[in-house]
Order: sequence, then structure tokens, then C-alpha cells
Amino acid sequence: MVVSPQQQRMRSPDPAHSGDIQVAGAGTPIAQSSLWRDARRRYMRNKGAVVAGTIFIALVAFCIFVPIVSPYDPDQVNFADAYLPPSLAHPFGTDQFGRDLLTRVALGGRISIAIGFAATLAILVIGLTYGSISGFVGGWVDNAMMRFLDALYGLPYLPFAIITLAIVGTVNFWTMVIALSIASWFTSARIVRGQIITLKENDYVRAATAVGARWYRVLARHLVPNTLGVLIIAIFLELPGVILGEAFLSFIGLGINPPSASWGSMAQEGREVYRTHTNVILIPSIAIATLVLCANFIADGLRDALDPRTKET
Amino acid sequence: MALLEVDNLKTHFFTREGVVRAVDGVSFTVEPGKTLGIVGESGCGKSVTALSIMSLLPQPPAKIVDGSVTFEGFDLAKLSERHLEDVRGKEIAMIFQDPMTSLNPTLKIGTQIMETMERHLGLDRKQAKKRAIELLEEVHIPNAANRLSDYPHRFSGGMRQRVMIAIAISCNPKLLIADEPTTALDVTVQAGILDLLDELQEEHEMAMILITHDMGVVAEAADDIVVMYAGQIVEQAPSLELFDHPEHPYTEALLGALPQIEGEGIRAGRLTAIPGRPPDLADPPTACRFAPRCPFSDREDSCAKEMPQLRELRTGHWVRSAHPASERAKTPLGAST
Repeated sequence: MVVSPQQQRMRSPDPAHSGDIQVAGAGTPIAQSSLWRDARRRYMRNKGAVVAGTIFIALVAFCIFVPIVSPYDPDQVNFADAYLPPSLAHPFGTDQFGRDLLTRVALGGRISIAIGFAATLAILVIGLTYGSISGFVGGWVDNAMMRFLDALYGLPYLPFAIITLAIVGTVNFWTMVIALSIASWFTSARIVRGQIITLKENDYVRAATAVGARWYRVLARHLVPNTLGVLIIAIFLELPGVILGEAFLSFIGLGINPPSASWGSMAQEGREVYRTHTNVILIPSIAIATLVLCANFIADGLRDALDPRTKET
Repeated sequence: MALLEVDNLKTHFFTREGVVRAVDGVSFTVEPGKTLGIVGESGCGKSVTALSIMSLLPQPPAKIVDGSVTFEGFDLAKLSERHLEDVRGKEIAMIFQDPMTSLNPTLKIGTQIMETMERHLGLDRKQAKKRAIELLEEVHIPNAANRLSDYPHRFSGGMRQRVMIAIAISCNPKLLIADEPTTALDVTVQAGILDLLDELQEEHEMAMILITHDMGVVAEAADDIVVMYAGQIVEQAPSLELFDHPEHPYTEALLGALPQIEGEGIRAGRLTAIPGRPPDLADPPTACRFAPRCPFSDREDSCAKEMPQLRELRTGHWVRSAHPASERAKTPLGAST
């Protein structure tokens, strides 16, 4: 028997859903698309993804708010307090310059996460543009664009990022974003192209053409919005790789310039003293690992939630 | 003057297996306000004909290699894509076979109806919305004003086809092409949709091309009927004439395959099936394409060697056969008459 979402909600006294019950009023049309409602319900059912999502949000909130409320100046050098062990005043201890690690790990997280999202976004925008043009135009244009992509696929991601940074010279937020996205948009372009080609054959695309919709309207209205689900998943699939890439670049000394720091460069600072003051390397590393793990779990949950073919059994 | 004049249309598909002659020299005219029915089995070129008129076929592989499609004096086959976009939806509209997939699942019904009117008629949001409600009422969707903000998955197949029809008639087209509009629907809904099309046609003074493989559907709705087989027209006549005096053996066979309620003068017993399969259109026979399945053709006949031409047996009744019913002496076994 098929159980409607409403019935299901009535049955389970789940507090997370109690806010939605008013939509079940008889006769009144349900206001919002149940596509997203269904997706959210499916996502909520995946416990791992829910936990990962909660931790992810908590981590982001931590990075945003801790530096605001922290009594310590993150860049204030005070050698008297160098390498303090964790205590009540400094829950994560201090680093070689006596700076509070709790504050700095939050600040570093801001940079790491911001670079991660910005680079992922750049990857998706480039991939979406390239892939949708290739898939939509089709024919020899598609062929040429895809063969070009095949050639680019040979470029190794990290060495290419390093070379880009070396050519640009200065390392700041935006050059970092460029370096991380320049050699990693190929996969998303392919995903989008595949999606567009599949969607292009849909009857409603032909129906839209049959009522005189121009090509850009067909593309913007009927094709790209339908790739949205795949793109959201792609964001969270791309994110761990990008964050790890940033951490790696920072770790080998190509990262953000001091006194700003990202998790990668903090870990690099801690590497020299990992025997005596393990917490200095451990804390940013755990942060990176947590973020990457969460992003993977979220991607997994989203894939199940947004794929319309995953129906409840 | 005829509204639409299709003359010797040849649409071929250029594939790796060779040239498929999906439409091979089709000519017909559609008069303003009249309905032309195109019947034939799957793969006989009905839909390709319709899509050729609208230039909606993907090129390549498809190509209109010969012939013209004249709509109000313009040859659509030679019009640029930009001009065609202005014709599609405004002058000629089309509804498709499967209403379940013809609406974009991510857009609200209202948006999809209004889109066309904003595009062609230059209406603003408010006017378009008002008109969209009127249109939904016109296609008999209850509670129209509220349903505008619904997504397609909340509509049944029949209702979706009604929405598709609303979109198609939104700009008062002069010609509506209905490509198997009822095939995906069950019989009661089918009747409703046909009644609706009939009603709207009268109201909007539209001409209509009704494509179907269902003889019952054309019998009800069409003024003139074109019977297609293997990319060619095999018989063309006014509706009543065709049903009363079918001439081509293929038309006879199609009618023989139609279930009928028992009554006076109506064949009793089992339905007859047509033996064999239609020819491969990548390599069609140079002779009559129906000859291998025709109960009246044998090897000595002229029609086994060369293609019979369309000829006018009676006024308005065209047949492509060497053995039309009215010229036959004997009735062989297995025929339906």
C-alpha cells in the first residue's frame, strides 16, 4: 500500500515534522511543490546524512561566531603564552606565538570553507556553461568541445594548481580559488552535458519549441533548472576534494599568507612540533577530516533524496 | 485559398544504415476551419509529416529533401529558424501524444501557459494570468484560478492533455496539429478530449490536422481523411465517402480490423488482421509498397513491378492502387468485404 506523506506524518509523532501538519487541510491545494518536501523527507530518513548535516552546520556556525565572541586577538603575538596546553582559558591551547588556537582554528575554518565553496561554485559555473553549450548545441561543436575536454582531462589537478599559483605569483583568496578550480571543472562539465543531452530529448522540450520558445529560453527554463538536483549533489561531492586541495597547498607552503591562516597552513605550522605539542597539528587536522567526512555524507544523503527514482519501498 | 498546402513533401533520415524515406512524396491541403485526419499504422510517416510541417525534426539526421509546405502563402520549409519560432505556437500549434511527459515537471502549470502568451502576444503578467484562467476554464478544468499554481504531477493524464490544449490554443492559432492526442489516454477520457477539440475548433475557427492510428477517432472528427502507408498516401477522400466506399485494399483491411457493434450490413465474426509487415523504408520496393501484403496482387500484376500513381477515381477520392474495390471483378478469400 502506498502511504501518503501526510498519513505518515500523522502516524509518527516526529517533532521535526510537526510544523508541516497544517498543510493537510482538506480541499485546499498544498501550497508548495512536494518535490522538495519529498526530498526533505527522504533526506531526514538517512540518519548518517542528518548527523553529518548537523555537524556541518555546527562547524560553520563555530567558524562564524567564535572569532566574534572570543576575548583574544587572533593575530596578537605573545611569546610568554607560547605552546600553552589546553586549559579553561585556552580550550585548544596556544601556538608558537601564544595565539589562542580556538580562535585561530575558527578563523582558519572561515577561510578554508569560504575557499572551498567559492572554488566549488566556480567549478560548477564553468562546468554548467561549458557542459550546457556542448550538450545543447550538439553535433560537431559538441564533439570538438568534448575532445578538447578529453585532452584537458590528462592534466593532473594538484600539480596544475601549483603551477597556476606559481605563474600568478601572489597567493590570496581569489588566486587560490582560481588555482583550485582551473583544473577540476572537467567532471562537472561532463555531468551537465550528459544531463542536458538526456533532457533535450524530453517531450516538454519539444513541446516548448513547438509553441515558439527561443533556444535560450528552452535552455534557461526547461533544461538548466532540471539539472539542479544533480548540481546540488555535485557541490557536495566536489567540496571535499577542493577543501583537501586547499589544505594540501597550504600544507606545502603555497597557501594563504600569514598572519591569516587556513586549516592547511595551521597544520603545517604544527608539523614541526608534533611530538611535543600534538594539539597544534591535531586540531586543524580533525577539523579538515570532519568537514570532508560530513560533506561526503551529505552528498550521499542528497543523492538519495533528490533522485526521483529512489522511491520508498 | 487553402490554409496549408503540402506539396510532394519528402522527408528523409540520413542514418548510418542508409537513407530512410520516412515521408516520400506526400501532398494534401487543409482548408480553413476544416479537419484533416491522417491515419496509418505506426511508422508510416504520420508524425514525421506533422513534424516536417512545423520544422521540428532534428536536422541532421532528418532533412526535407523535396517539396514545399505552404502556409498562407509562405513556404515553411524555407523559412529561417527565427521566423519559424514566430509561426510556431502563434499561427500553427501542436499537441503531442503523451501528456504525461509533455509538461515540464519543474514549472507550475500557470507559468507554462503564460509563457507562450507572453512570448507571442506581448501580454504582461497580469493580463496573461487572467487569460490563462480563462483558457483553463475553456478546457473545462474546474477551480481554474487555484490550479494555476499547481505543478504538473498533480494533474491526471486527461487533465494534462487539457492543459496542453489550453497552451496550444492560447494564441488563437489558425491551424492545430494534434499528433495522436488521445493515444495515451483511456477511452472515456479520449471521448472527452475529442469533444473538447471539436468544441474549440468551432469556437476559434481553427483548421486541424488530426493524426491517429484509430479509425474510430477520425471517423468522428475528420472532414477529410488521408490514409498513409510506408511514407506515402494510399488513399484520400472525404470522411463519409472513405468509410462508405473504401477503395484501397489497405484501407479496407484497416476497416476490417476495426471492432464493430453487430447490426445490419455489418460483418460478423472475427476481426481480420493484415498479414506481413510494412516494408523497410531504408530500402523500399520500387513497386507498390503494399503489394507483398495485398490480397489482390500477384506476381504477374503491373503493381508488382512498378509503383501505381495516385489517381482520382471519383471526385475528391484519390487512390494509389492497381486494384481499387470498384474495379475488382472477383473477391478473393480472406478479404473483409
